Amino acid sequence: MSKTAATLPIARTWRDIPQQVKPRAMSREGKRRSTLRGLRLVGGLAALAILGTAAWEVVAVLQPAGATAPLPAARALPIGDNLELVTDGVLDRAWLRRTLALPASATLANIEPATLRLRVLTGGQVLAAEIVRHFPQTLSVHIAERTPVARIMAESGAGAPQEFLVARDGVVFAGQGFDPEMVKTLPWLDGVSPTPGGPGKALIAGMEEAASFLADASLYSRDLYRTWKVVSLARLASDGQIEVRTDAGTRIIFRPKDGNLYSQVARLDSVLDKVAGVVPADKIRKIDLSFENRALVAIDQPTPPPPTPGHKAAKPAHSASTPSELPPPPAPALQFKIYP
Amino acid sequence: MNPKHTFIGAVDIGTSKVTVLVGEYTGDALAIVGCGETSSRGVVKGSIADYKAASECTHAALEEAERRAGERIDCVYLAQSGGHLEGFYNEAAVNVKAADNMIDKNDIRTVCDLAMAKQLPTGRMVVHHIRRPFRVDGRLVPTSPEHLVGQRLEVGYWTVHGQEQRLADMIHVIRGCNLEVRELALSSLASGHMVTTAEERQNGVLAIDLGAGTTDFVLYRDGVAYLTGVIPIGGAHLTNDLGIGLRLTENQAEKLKLRFGRALVQTRDRGDKVWLDGNYAIGDRQFPRLAIEQITAARTWELLEVVKKKLGANFSPDTCAAGVVLTGGAAKLPALAECAAKVFGVSAHLGEAPSWVSEALREPGYHTALGLLYYGIRSQTERAAAAPKRGSLFRGISRLFATS
Repeated sequence: MSKTAATLPIARTWRDIPQQVKPRAMSREGKRRSTLRGLRLVGGLAALAILGTAAWEVVAVLQPAGATAPLPAARALPIGDNLELVTDGVLDRAWLRRTLALPASATLANIEPATLRLRVLTGGQVLAAEIVRHFPQTLSVHIAERTPVARIMAESGAGAPQEFLVARDGVVFAGQGFDPEMVKTLPWLDGVSPTPGGPGKALIAGMEEAASFLADASLYSRDLYRTWKVVSLARLASDGQIEVRTDAGTRIIFRPKDGNLYSQVARLDSVLDKVAGVVPADKIRKIDLSFENRALVAIDQPTPPPPTPGHKAAKPAHSASTPSELPPPPAPALQFKIYP
Repeated sequence: MNPKHTFIGAVDIGTSKVTVLVGEYTGDALAIVGCGETSSRGVVKGSIADYKAASECTHAALEEAERRAGERIDCVYLAQSGGHLEGFYNEAAVNVKAADNMIDKNDIRTVCDLAMAKQLPTGRMVVHHIRRPFRVDGRLVPTSPEHLVGQRLEVGYWTVHGQEQRLADMIHVIRGCNLEVRELALSSLASGHMVTTAEERQNGVLAIDLGAGTTDFVLYRDGVAYLTGVIPIGGAHLTNDLGIGLRLTENQAEKLKLRFGRALVQTRDRGDKVWLDGNYAIGDRQFPRLAIEQITAARTWELLEVVKKKLGANFSPDTCAAGVVLTGGAAKLPALAECAAKVFGVSAHLGEAPSWVSEALREPGYHTALGLLYYGIRSQTERAAAAPKRGSLFRGISRLFATS
C-alpha cells in the first residue's frame, strides 16, 4: 500500500456548507427564533448570576461569625522620634520636633498632616512643606527654606526691637540655625518698615528690587559690597534711589531703576580710586551716583580753627550794626566735586 | 421540559408536499409528538426552484408541527432527494500489519479511509458514505473485523454525492427559519429503513419510494444499503401524461389519476367510460377507463423499468430474496405491487410502517419523514459514540445555552 493517510484526497461533504444566515435572510419565524434565542441566552446568564449571588450569600451566612469579621487593624505605633526631615536649608530635626510639638502618643493615624504643615510654615523661614506618612510610624517632612538677603531691626509685638532676617520675597522671619558669621555679613535695612503681622507674615515693600540690587552689586564688586553696612530703601519708592552706608560712614546713592547698576558700581570704584590718595575714606560724606554718567562726591573740609577771644567778631552786641563789622562767612563744610 | 429531551424535526421537502414530523428523543426512545404538512411550492423534481415559495411553505409546515407538538424544534433532520444525486462504489484493501495477522483498529481505519478517499468533481459534495460489509481474505464479515485473524482486509463504500448548490439551497431554506440542520439523509434511505425489516435487508430487498417528482430507490444486501439511486420521474409524470393524452388540465388529470389510474390494465371493455367529476354538472366529461389505465400503466411500467435498468447487474432475483417494497405517495396507485413484481421478477408489496406507528402516520407519504427520524438518530448516535467524550458539566452548560 503506497498511499498514506496524509496524501489521501479529501472530498467535501454537505457538512462543509456554511449554515450561518443573516437575520435579513430569515423568515418571520426565523427572526422570532433568533430573538428567543437571544432572550434565552440573556436569561441563562441572568440565572447564572442570580445563582452565583445566592450561593455567595448562603456561604456568607453559613460561615462562622469570626471568619467574616474584618481583619484587625494594624497596631497603631507612636511616631515618637521617627521624624524624618528633608530640607535644602539649615533647619534641623530639633527644630522640627519643637515646631510639630507632637504628643508622645501621636500616631500616624491620628495626626492631621494639614495642621502639621501649617505649623511648619509658621514663622516664615519655610517656603514650602510637604508632610508624608510612612506607615507604620515614620513621619517624613520635606521643606524648602527661604534664604536671607538682609537684616532688619523691628519690633515683634510689644517687646523691644530685635533683629530679623529678610528674604528675597520680602518676608521677615526670625532666622533659626543660620551661621552667625554669615548673618553678620548681611546689610541692615533702613528707611522702611515691615507690614504688620509679625514674623512669617510681615513683608518689606520693594524687597525684590533691593535683593536684586544687592545680589548684582555683590557680584560686580565683592570688596565694595563688604563695606556696606546699611541699605536704605526710604527713597526707593519715590525716587527710585537706594542709599547705602558704608562702614566708614559714607553715603552712596544708587539709582538701580536706570538699569545701569554695573556702570554705577564702576563709577563708584573709579571715584574711590581717585580720591583714595587725596581724601581719607572717612572724610567722604556722600557719593551720589544717581546722575547719569557722573558722580557727585561730598567731602568733609577740615574744620576751621576757632576764633580767638580778642577778635572783633566776638562782640555780638554790635555785630549787626554795620556790615563792615560782620564776621567773615564760615568755610563750607562740604566740598563738592563732580567726576565726569 | 426535561433537559435531556430533544425535539427533532424531520423535514421532507417534496415536490407535491412538505412534511414535518416532530420527534421527542429522550436518549433511548423516540416519540412522535407533532406533525405538519403543507402543499409544496417552488420545488421541482426534488430541488428548490423558487427559494421564497419553498421557504414559505416549509416554514409553515414547521410552525404547524411545532404548534401541534406544543414544543419548539431544537434541530432538523432533512431528507434529500433530486436528480442531481448520484453514487459510485469504491473499495480498498490492506494487508494486515500485525505479525500474528490479527486485525486491529488501525487496519480498519486505514482501509476505511482508503475506500472513502475519492476526489469528487468540482461542485460536488458527499452526502453519504455507505459502508458495505468487510471482507477478510474474501470472507464476508457483517460486523466489525477487529480481532479477527486474516491477511487481507477489504471494504467498499457506496458514496452518494450531490450538487453543492442544490444541497445548500435545501439547507438554507431550513436556516431561514433559524434552525440547525443536524443531519442530511437520502430520502430512499430514510423511507427504505422504515418500510423494510432487518431480516429483509439481510436477505436482500429493493425499496422504491415513488414520490411526485422523483423516484428514489435503495437496494439492501447483507443488511446494509448496497446501492441507491434517484430517478427524476414520479407520480407527477403520470398526471402530466394523462393531461397530454386526454387533453386535461393538471388538476383534472390528477383527479382522474387518483380515482381511476392503475399500474396494470385491468379493464377489458373499451366502452367503459368514467366521468371526470361525476356530478353531472355542465362541462363534466366522460373518458374511457381503458385509456386512463393504459396511460398510467405504461408510464408506471416504464418508470420501474428505468429503476431496473439503473440497478443493472447489481439486482437479480437471487440476491433480492425479500423482493421489492414500494412506498411513497405514488405507491398508492392500484396494482403497483403486481406491476413491480412483473418488472423485477420478484415478489413485491406495498411498504407498511411498523405496528407501533400511529394510524394517522401510516400513510406512505409519511414514511420518509418517519424513517428520517430513526435514520438520523441512529447515525447521530454512531457519530457521537465515535467522537471523544466531553465532561458532563460542559455538556450541561452547552445544553443550557443550546439554540432553541
